[in-house]
Amino acid sequence: MIKAIFYKEWIKTGGYGLLALLLSTGFAGYAMLRMARVCSLKGADHLWIVMLQRDAIFVDLLQFVPLFIGLGLAVVQFAPEMYRKSFKLTLHLPLRADRAVAAMLAYGVATLAAVFLPALAAMGGYLQSILAPELWQHILWSTLPWYLAGIAAYLLTAWIALEPTWGRRLIDGAMALLLLRLYFLAPAPEAYNGFLPLLTAVTLCYGLLAMLSLTRFRDGRQD
Amino acid sequence: MWKTSKLFFWALAALLVLWQIPSCYNFFAVKPADAPFTLYSPVIGDFAMLRFDEEKRMRYTDASGREYTKEQFDSILPAFYCRQLVADGRFPDSICGRAVTLRQIQKANFNLRLSPSNLNAPQVGLQQLLESMSGRVDLTLPDDVFRITDTGIEFVRMETNQIDEEKSARFTEAMKRKGFHFPACRISGNPTARKEYDEGYVMLDAARRLFHVKQTVGRPYVRAIELPEGLVPEYLFITEFPSRRWLCFLTDTGGGFWVVERDSYAVVRTELPSFDPREESMLIFGNLFDWTVKVDRGGEKCFYALSAEDYTLLDSLTIPTPDRSWRGLRFTSPKDKFVKPRF
Repeated sequence: MIKAIFYKEWIKTGGYGLLALLLSTGFAGYAMLRMARVCSLKGADHLWIVMLQRDAIFVDLLQFVPLFIGLGLAVVQFAPEMYRKSFKLTLHLPLRADRAVAAMLAYGVATLAAVFLPALAAMGGYLQSILAPELWQHILWSTLPWYLAGIAAYLLTAWIALEPTWGRRLIDGAMALLLLRLYFLAPAPEAYNGFLPLLTAVTLCYGLLAMLSLTRFRDGRQD
Repeated sequence: MWKTSKLFFWALAALLVLWQIPSCYNFFAVKPADAPFTLYSPVIGDFAMLRFDEEKRMRYTDASGREYTKEQFDSILPAFYCRQLVADGRFPDSICGRAVTLRQIQKANFNLRLSPSNLNAPQVGLQQLLESMSGRVDLTLPDDVFRITDTGIEFVRMETNQIDEEKSARFTEAMKRKGFHFPACRISGNPTARKEYDEGYVMLDAARRLFHVKQTVGRPYVRAIELPEGLVPEYLFITEFPSRRWLCFLTDTGGGFWVVERDSYAVVRTELPSFDPREESMLIFGNLFDWTVKVDRGGEKCFYALSAEDYTLLDSLTIPTPDRSWRGLRFTSPKDKFVKPRF
């Protein structure tokens, strides 16, 4: 049954997943191209010096890309079902409703991982060829909170999308905005390193919030 | 599952309240308290202060409350306002019985800001070692960087991203010959070409012994600096001021503040009371006669006047600046560059 749910989600989001993969790797590739252009114009040493003296990481344009990709995936995955009120059908499958929703969320998180990892791998691959390990790791560590924000945006949007009433959606939305702000407080690159394990655990726990919406949905709450 | 979800929801709600309510209150309702701009005047032998009164007018006073005009204020702080005094034709021939020239005053003036957020920050671990004796007037940045490993110093050529084995071996050998135990536990330098001269780096090795390392005509210059009995250095701050009088300042594990003289490598303790660079910020305005040292200790700003000759304490002043902000959950701090939860 879980396989069937994964298949259903793939039918709904497969196209968006491919587009997201293109976007994610495209933006990462563009950031790398810009660095390659700096290297060809001013030499690799210019890149190193700017990184060391100004604490620049050259990939700032990626900052909100994972966030919007995560948000978009949740909308594509959950909004049509909620709008057409076909989400009820999922609850009538021979599987506990919370397990069905957990499987849907797991599919979403796995999709995001599949979208984000190639971008990280591509960046890592290119950066290793021009930068010392300290510098390319500095860049990749600095981007991790942004990718985590993508997963958080997905799980929080799923929570809001599954919520049956608009009043509660507004409250949940306000909470989600504040929670997402947490991923963009960085005053410096690598500022999140010590906090990342805890932040990752909390981010994955956002999946629990969708269960609250599910319970309210099953209880028949509506506007 | 539902109970866990509910619990998690309320935990998140509580976290947001603890984070956002104090943050909003502090942003809209709390005005940060600061001390007036204060410098020690060798002319009056007291602290001189520049502050704004209730009507936003500038007032020039000393610590005992005596008022000065703007021109008088320039005159009692001749080192700080030396250019204004020269422009007005009022620059004195001597200050405190000592004959001075504008050049002498300007060369001796320095200021140094030490902020805990510079120490409590992610470090990349790569540094640039400039050429100290290139024979040219202007300094230039090198085409390599170095890292200190457990076994030596490693230079990496930036253009090729390859280790320069020969140079690495040469510097490692020179440092080991002088008794340097790898890895370094502290390193301080100022790798910029926008300075008058270069002193390379001061480093604490694994045994907390102090070393001066620089590159002169492509060759390693390594000097072990003898420390007074009982001194265990904690943090180093290279100076490279125009006066060329000091190599670096350092703090010890007990909070003492020391200076290392550039020519003699003498390590001298100042009479500055305890200073913790990880928690407190420091601002030093130094001149030919004295240093005014401002230490921000959170709830109070402490000003100390030290003699520039022998670093004895001339005077001190404490101005309370009570922190009226609400304490809640915060994720950032002016004392570091990390994001993490803290109450």
